[in-house]
Amino acid sequence: MDLDFSPAERAFRLEVRDWLARHRPPPLPSMDTAEGFAAHRAWEAELAAARLSAVSWPEEYGGRGASLIDWLIFEEEYWAAGCPARVTQNGIFLLAPSLMRYGTPEQRERHLPRMAGGDDVWAQAWSEPEAGSDLAALTSRAEPCPGGWRLYGHKTWSSRAAFATHGFGLFRTSGARHKGLTYFMFPMAGVAVRPIAQLDGLPGFAELRFDGVFTPDSMVLGEVGEGWRIAMATTSSERGLTLRSPGRFLATADRLAELARDADPALADRAARCRIEAEAYQLHTFGTARRLMAGEELGPAASMGKIFWSELDLRMHALALDLLGDRAESWVDGFLFSLAGPIYAGTNEIQRNIVAERVLGLPR
Amino acid sequence: MNFGFNDDQLALAATVRDVLRTHCPPGSLRSERRPAWEQLAGLGFFGLLLPEAADGLGLALVDVLPALEETGRACLPGPVVETAVVAPYLLADVPKLASGAVCVGVLPPGQAYAADADLADLLIVVRDGGARVIPRRDVRLAPRRGVDPCRPLFEVTFSRSEPLPVPVGPALARATVATAAQLVGLARELLSVTVGYARVRTQFGAPIGSFQAVKHQLADVAVAVEFAAPLVYRAALTVESDSGDRDASAAKAAAGEVATLAARVALQIHGAIGYTEELDLRFWLARAWSLSAAYGTTAAHRERLRTAITGRRP
Repeated sequence: MDLDFSPAERAFRLEVRDWLARHRPPPLPSMDTAEGFAAHRAWEAELAAARLSAVSWPEEYGGRGASLIDWLIFEEEYWAAGCPARVTQNGIFLLAPSLMRYGTPEQRERHLPRMAGGDDVWAQAWSEPEAGSDLAALTSRAEPCPGGWRLYGHKTWSSRAAFATHGFGLFRTSGARHKGLTYFMFPMAGVAVRPIAQLDGLPGFAELRFDGVFTPDSMVLGEVGEGWRIAMATTSSERGLTLRSPGRFLATADRLAELARDADPALADRAARCRIEAEAYQLHTFGTARRLMAGEELGPAASMGKIFWSELDLRMHALALDLLGDRAESWVDGFLFSLAGPIYAGTNEIQRNIVAERVLGLPR
Repeated sequence: MNFGFNDDQLALAATVRDVLRTHCPPGSLRSERRPAWEQLAGLGFFGLLLPEAADGLGLALVDVLPALEETGRACLPGPVVETAVVAPYLLADVPKLASGAVCVGVLPPGQAYAADADLADLLIVVRDGGARVIPRRDVRLAPRRGVDPCRPLFEVTFSRSEPLPVPVGPALARATVATAAQLVGLARELLSVTVGYARVRTQFGAPIGSFQAVKHQLADVAVAVEFAAPLVYRAALTVESDSGDRDASAAKAAAGEVATLAARVALQIHGAIGYTEELDLRFWLARAWSLSAAYGTTAAHRERLRTAITGRRP
């Protein structure tokens, strides 16, 4: 057991640090505005030009073929430098792992490079008004037609869908609860999009209405009827490593420790605890990366990480508000976002059920 | 970067676990003061960290961490950390340490009483940054009430003593990390026993483990154990570095909290049967409370962390 980085890993860290110091953008307007969305896409294109937008991807798709450890290093540097949240994250961190694993070579070649460059920005379309945590209850459907499929139904709470170019999600292709679901990609053109303001008043969500939206056969990911299995692999990525790397929480904990320097001891104690918990998540992730690199699956253990990081993030931002009172300006956005953590990617109540049943073996 | 135990480290733990299952079953906690010590000594357990010149194996703390977790999991009584971890760093030239024939007790700074001092052939007392070593014949012990029936506490007075001419900080940091490892092992056992109980105990016609209110408490313990353990592993790796004391405090605070959480949830889910002397669970509860206070309370380690991280003076 060791915590030592190789010379190549240390060199990569320095390269990333140096590049970010020279290219880091000023604070961008919110990606949930038209202006901010465009600015974030420009930033993604700049990252992609340096082949830093998806470092762990194969080179042919715009990555560097970097290891998970390198990716964790990149993330630590990215967040420590104060760089913006990733407008491409649903595509790069949620869709791409499934595309890599279940997509055809043509699908990968068509979508991944454009995703890495911010040319296409993907929104997820999982939830429906009556199917949130109970995702398999969804009723949106796809009907075969010449050359492809027509999509019908109603999806909601779709992050960044107000401005995205493409979407992906599950649609019912037969009556079976789980086996009747198929994983579709689709262009947003033709989908009726109604932006929904989030707690911050900006259109971070959208409601999507499908009234026979056409998507070709080439946009089906995996086999018809295999959507649930593919989606579960994706959500494991979402809950686990790919969406929430430790770098973010370490950077937040550092800002918090700075904020708490002159605070009363009880608040400073909470800040110190947050820093240690961020380190616990970092160390745990190193262990997870090692297992994944050895070919193991993350599986239901991803739920443990999801509970841990989402509640840590919320605690950190709640503490920032306690420290700052009503002067909380620069922390408000992060606080509002942290409130979403225990809800999205499967609520923490569902995650606790998964841990209890599938990790601990308690009866259903 | 290879943050995981290797096969040798895990094999050692598996061996210790097997020995403890056979020779330190829960029943022995009621009748024996020092079960399984002879068998552990036979394995060379007390010489693992001793240098080869002292008939030891010269292993590093991280090598024995999974084995130390097992001593916590088994609720093994006696001054395990003191004899197997502290003594090799402070008393390596004492003969017969490796064979387990000499049992060592420690009274750390900031603690009023010495645990398991009745078993110690040699007692190390740390005061004012220095340590003194006292043979049993020169020690007078007065029993004092503690929370753990298998880890009795004693007020210590002594007439003559020898100063130890080595710095004690590094040995105490190792003891802190080793105790944290035991606490993680305790927490794992408490979780496992409680999950087992929740699967078989039925109420309202269903196993209580099928109720979400019960599931979520156990899931929270599982998550807490999962994320406390890596802090302990790191502390074993960094114990000799500049961040050694800070990392040891992080490990001890996290492990103390997870063990007391696991104890609290175990008791709640066992219900009234858990609140009886008859159930062996009582030994693990008491050990979680006693070890979370050993080598610095959780609060003391948190205060150190606050100073280290926010730069505040306590």
